[in-house]
Amino acid sequence: MVDQTGRRFFIFLSIMILLLSAIHFTGDYRSRYTFAEDLLLAGLSPVQGFFSQLGWRTYRFFEVILDHNRLIEENKTLQQELAAQDNLRYQLVELQKENYRLREMLDFKERVSYELLPAQVIARDPSQWFETITISKGYIDGVKKDMAVVTSDGLVGNVAKVSRNSAQVLLLTDSRRAVSALIQRTREPGTVGIVEGYPEEQGYLRMVNIPPEAKLQPGDTVISAGLGGVFPKGLIIGHLLETGTDQYGLLQQAIIKPAVDFNRLEEVFIVIERLPLRSVGTGEELP
Amino acid sequence: MKEVDSNNTLSPYLIVFLLSLFILVVEGSLLGVIFTRVNMPDLLLVFVTCLAFIWGEKKGVLIGLLAGLMQDLFFGPALGLFALAKMVVAYLAGMTAREVYKDQLAGPMLVVFMATFVHEFIIFFLRFLFWGSGGDLFYFLDVVFLPKAVYHFMLTIPIYSILYRADQKGYFYPFSK
Repeated sequence: MVDQTGRRFFIFLSIMILLLSAIHFTGDYRSRYTFAEDLLLAGLSPVQGFFSQLGWRTYRFFEVILDHNRLIEENKTLQQELAAQDNLRYQLVELQKENYRLREMLDFKERVSYELLPAQVIARDPSQWFETITISKGYIDGVKKDMAVVTSDGLVGNVAKVSRNSAQVLLLTDSRRAVSALIQRTREPGTVGIVEGYPEEQGYLRMVNIPPEAKLQPGDTVISAGLGGVFPKGLIIGHLLETGTDQYGLLQQAIIKPAVDFNRLEEVFIVIERLPLRSVGTGEELP
Repeated sequence: MKEVDSNNTLSPYLIVFLLSLFILVVEGSLLGVIFTRVNMPDLLLVFVTCLAFIWGEKKGVLIGLLAGLMQDLFFGPALGLFALAKMVVAYLAGMTAREVYKDQLAGPMLVVFMATFVHEFIIFFLRFLFWGSGGDLFYFLDVVFLPKAVYHFMLTIPIYSILYRADQKGYFYPFSK
């Protein structure tokens, strides 16, 4: 009896050690799934898509009923904003032309541009521990690990794992990630900070390592700094909510309200291709 | 007198596998969209704990492992994280069940309540160990562990009732005794 219990305990302990090793080896190093995993995920991806669409339809049905007045107000506001945007668009075209002329005069490098691949959000991690979503595009669509994922509102996260026709995206709000960022208004080179997930306040981000001399104001826009090669520069991360000093009193830190509503992600765009840099003046590809 | 359908051709492990898949898809793709992410119950944990309670720790460990591995595959940051947590919880639930009457709901409800704390603590610890993601444990106890445990406590009533009845009717033969 004692022998049998001991044997069982030994087997249980061995499985535990195997699982701990599996966590270590499959955690951050692999970008693709094994064949068996890939097959299972590929088969279930359409089922997930069906259920997520069902979920969205149910959500919208109740939203229309329960939030009718707010939706009418929102519609009015959006129409007004759209009218204002038209004026801004003409100004933007003018500024773009001017910018191009000035760049040509200085033989500046052309801004890096990207190709955006739309994808549906088909699932999200139901546990509160990890902030990931599953999207409906995989390696057959050209998706690769570490590609940035955005919406029209701003930065969402990056691709963590890719299967045949789906991919797992690590959200900005996940505490395992950090992004180099800068304050758009000041543009001081020193105001590059790290935006990290903030587990104590779900849905918010925290920007740390901000130099003490940086002049921060609540409402300031935080954008990606483009360091590290994963996230393109200039994508909106969010807006400063409150600022303060860190626990040692040496540097500043700030709480950021993300520009993207991570609870309502339905469609996202994968930044799929980075076009080569070209000289505006000569049109030649730069190394 | 139990009615046992011994003609059931599907392996209980296959049934558990298919049910776990269904729970994961519904949880991640349907409920995850309708409800915001605050305090989502872990239906798979309740399912695994209830089955381990009915069938004991030996089968419970395998079910916890199987269901956990699938959760890892769908949502986990690495293979083995949820598998480890669910396996340990199933083992403990199976051990506890030796001393408790299985035809009464109070036993499994209490076991699921306690199992939630064990499961969440293991995830909290492994998350810190492998990814350095810390956070205030008391904050998580208050905001994540306790609300989840209460939800799971309540959800055990329908889930355990269905599984226990299915087991009694022999749908999980030859696991049904």
